Amino acid sequence: MSPTVRQRSKRMILDSIGVGLVGSTTPVFDIALRYCRLYSSVAVSSVYGKPGVKLSPTLAAFTNGVATHSMDFDDTWHPATHPSGAILPALLAASQMLPPNTKPNGLDFLLAFNVGLEVQGRLMHFSTEAHDIPKRFHPPSVVGTLGSAAATAKLLSLSSAQCCHALGIAASLAGAPMANAATQAKPLHVGNATRLGLEAALLAGRGMEANPLILDDIPGCSGFSAFYSVYQPKPLSAPGEHHEFLLEKQDIAFKRFPAHLGMHWVVDAALSVRNLFINYAGSFSPSLIRTIMLKIPVSKYINRPFPSSEHQARHSFQFNACAALLDGEVGLGSFSESSIHRQELRELLDKVVVEHPEDNVANFDKMYGEVALLLHTGDVLTGKCDTFYGHWRKPLSKESLLKKFRSNASHVLPEEKIEAIITLVDNLENLSDSSQLACSL
Amino acid sequence: MILDTLGVGLLGTSTEVFHKVTQYSKIYSSDLSSTIWGHLDFRLPPLYAAFVNGVAVHSMDFDDTWHPATHPSGAVLPALIALSEAFPQKKNISGLDLLLAFNVGIEVQGRLLHFSREARNIPRRFHPPAVVGTMGSAAACAKLLALDQLECKNALAIAASYAGAPLANAATQIKPLHIGNAAKNGLEAACLALQGLQGNKQILDMESGMGAFYTDYNPQTLPTLQSYPWLLDQQDVAIKRFPAHLATHWVADAASSVRRKLVESSESLLPIDKIEKVILKVPEVKYVNRPSPASEHEARHSFQFVACSALLDGSMSVQSFSSENIQRPALRELLCKTQLEHPPDNTPSFDSLYCQVSVTLRGGSTISDRCTTFYGHWRKPLEKEDLEKKFQSNVLNILPTEAMEGIIETVYNLEKVEDCSVLSTFLSGQSARALPEKLRFL
Repeated sequence: MSPTVRQRSKRMILDSIGVGLVGSTTPVFDIALRYCRLYSSVAVSSVYGKPGVKLSPTLAAFTNGVATHSMDFDDTWHPATHPSGAILPALLAASQMLPPNTKPNGLDFLLAFNVGLEVQGRLMHFSTEAHDIPKRFHPPSVVGTLGSAAATAKLLSLSSAQCCHALGIAASLAGAPMANAATQAKPLHVGNATRLGLEAALLAGRGMEANPLILDDIPGCSGFSAFYSVYQPKPLSAPGEHHEFLLEKQDIAFKRFPAHLGMHWVVDAALSVRNLFINYAGSFSPSLIRTIMLKIPVSKYINRPFPSSEHQARHSFQFNACAALLDGEVGLGSFSESSIHRQELRELLDKVVVEHPEDNVANFDKMYGEVALLLHTGDVLTGKCDTFYGHWRKPLSKESLLKKFRSNASHVLPEEKIEAIITLVDNLENLSDSSQLACSL
Repeated sequence: MILDTLGVGLLGTSTEVFHKVTQYSKIYSSDLSSTIWGHLDFRLPPLYAAFVNGVAVHSMDFDDTWHPATHPSGAVLPALIALSEAFPQKKNISGLDLLLAFNVGIEVQGRLLHFSREARNIPRRFHPPAVVGTMGSAAACAKLLALDQLECKNALAIAASYAGAPLANAATQIKPLHIGNAAKNGLEAACLALQGLQGNKQILDMESGMGAFYTDYNPQTLPTLQSYPWLLDQQDVAIKRFPAHLATHWVADAASSVRRKLVESSESLLPIDKIEKVILKVPEVKYVNRPSPASEHEARHSFQFVACSALLDGSMSVQSFSSENIQRPALRELLCKTQLEHPPDNTPSFDSLYCQVSVTLRGGSTISDRCTTFYGHWRKPLEKEDLEKKFQSNVLNILPTEAMEGIIETVYNLEKVEDCSVLSTFLSGQSARALPEKLRFL
């Protein structure tokens, strides 16, 4: 550092400290401080799968949100986002935070959850760009944060002015770029969405104020519109009139295996062509295959010819197609280190060629997956999937959903606890104290 | 949906990423704590100390501004000081370590801003401290923690996923949190990287990485380390003389000068009824154009308010933004007569903008003055005495004199300080006499 740099930076430090000290006399500082002093009090909120551990509410929400998205196994909606992971952990944590005589009941909880979903959906409908698979900001980190703020504000019964501020505050806590998808940091997007939304509601509850017009489109000074290149907010029907939740018209997709939603189409297509191939050749014989042709939509972050980590593998059309061809199914074990690096799988990956037909739009409502095996003999076998099992057009049956839950939960909980959770959720609206749900984890 | 999410979450607890974040979060149940500036009565975990102190720094829009535009120090210093007190291995951090880490944090912000032409102008979409400030804090903390090269890359990658806040929250109470969060999140990113968390190491190269925050992101390779030119060497910061948006500083200087031409002595009152109109020629910056601000936050972001205050009082100070002063009738009357004009040659960049104040009196005569460089701008930096005066005036009712003098002396000699925790001690209000053994210079 030259003398000039030293001198200038020391001046900055001195000035910065002085400014900070006078700033400690302001109301905004008081609010921020009172909020943070929560952390010197109790760790009251449960952590998924760790019965002896409790953390402070926002950190519990964070860790549980990370857990939810850690394997890309959580739900996906249209327009595209992962809605539940962004709101449920915050609600669970908040329910344990409230004093015993003010615990919300199961119906309150369920309503708050749906408010969180609805807000996410409504926000996405303000942008046509949001209908497609994202390219710039990861949607859970954008709408998820506001959804969490809305849901928590609802659960905590904030006034309408406070709810408004909660959303405004949340906007300043939103937004993570897509490039961290397919890395270990991606789960943090959901963890932070749920945690920061909760934080926004808690701050609003303590009097913090933000811009009440944050959702409007004001040229020259971006609010929520900062996250989109096309943003057209519309007025919503006033509360009290018959309100139809978006979830009514548009269901969610549940994943059957832990990978990006786009993978589910190619896997179903691959399984279908695999059956044709076995009928044709008697068994699955990779040596007969010259080329594997994938017809997929254009989406950079899920087009990976040779993924090297589990996170990348979950975001690779090529990997998922080949795993399905090789094994006849794709499940948890498909993404282990040993599975990813298998020689036979690598050999198959070498044969893959990718095409982007114009009619294959990067949109979870319209895309399809096609897998064609071009054999050395010249024959071509094709499998195509428009709607995979688990998609909103072909939802998982109750049995399939329970099977998935039991299989997942059994990794960390004993059977009685698993069944207890199933029962609690099934009867959620009749629960008198919704924090029981969080306590049962 | 709830059922599915619970199952998925339960399963997810067996993953490596989950393990890392729990390990990280458990810090909050430990005894680690850092100083809250100005408070001896309690402490907070480092993350929250960084947060609240960062909020304090930006709470009045009184902190430094750089070119290309951001508030660089507030995003970095609170995180570094909080971290230095709660070091993982209870190691002593020297003043030189702190100074170097601080400069790394500033430099990273500057380099990132240079990757976009749009960043040269006053922002319109994202508030820069929330974007580059988070990255700067992560870099500074990574440096102080002596993370290896791979961990540093991951710290930046993780930080990118915390970056970004829209500009519309400027001029509201939440704006200071942009800096508080930048400091806190950068620190968190560095700590997560230390735990081994990994992100996209090409985050700075990609349009879907840092590029998400700009429409014209164009990263360049940096100069080699051999003879590295620090940006701060070529481009100083601006230090504010009163707590309001930087653009209002030009207006204040021009208005004060017009006032001196209008009244004989500084004690006389401004003859408001003789004034027909006040015209301000300013660049077009929507979020600082407020004809009738109602709150202190709005007043700090109002060309009109600052012009009228400076015309009435002769100069601006911390008190100019008190609610009595914001509401006074004389000011409101003058505000009604004030208009803005946006000449096309007045570009919205802190390096090139100007402000012209013209007061037209009944009878037709007009008194004008134009300010191209206010005192405190990088082209006309504050003198040492004036910088110290600002510091002393700020700190007067918050710290005892010895602590105040202690900070000044420590910062001026920072690279020779053996244990920088002496700075934190002063910040909490203790004086040097209480801890002679800490004030040791190399």
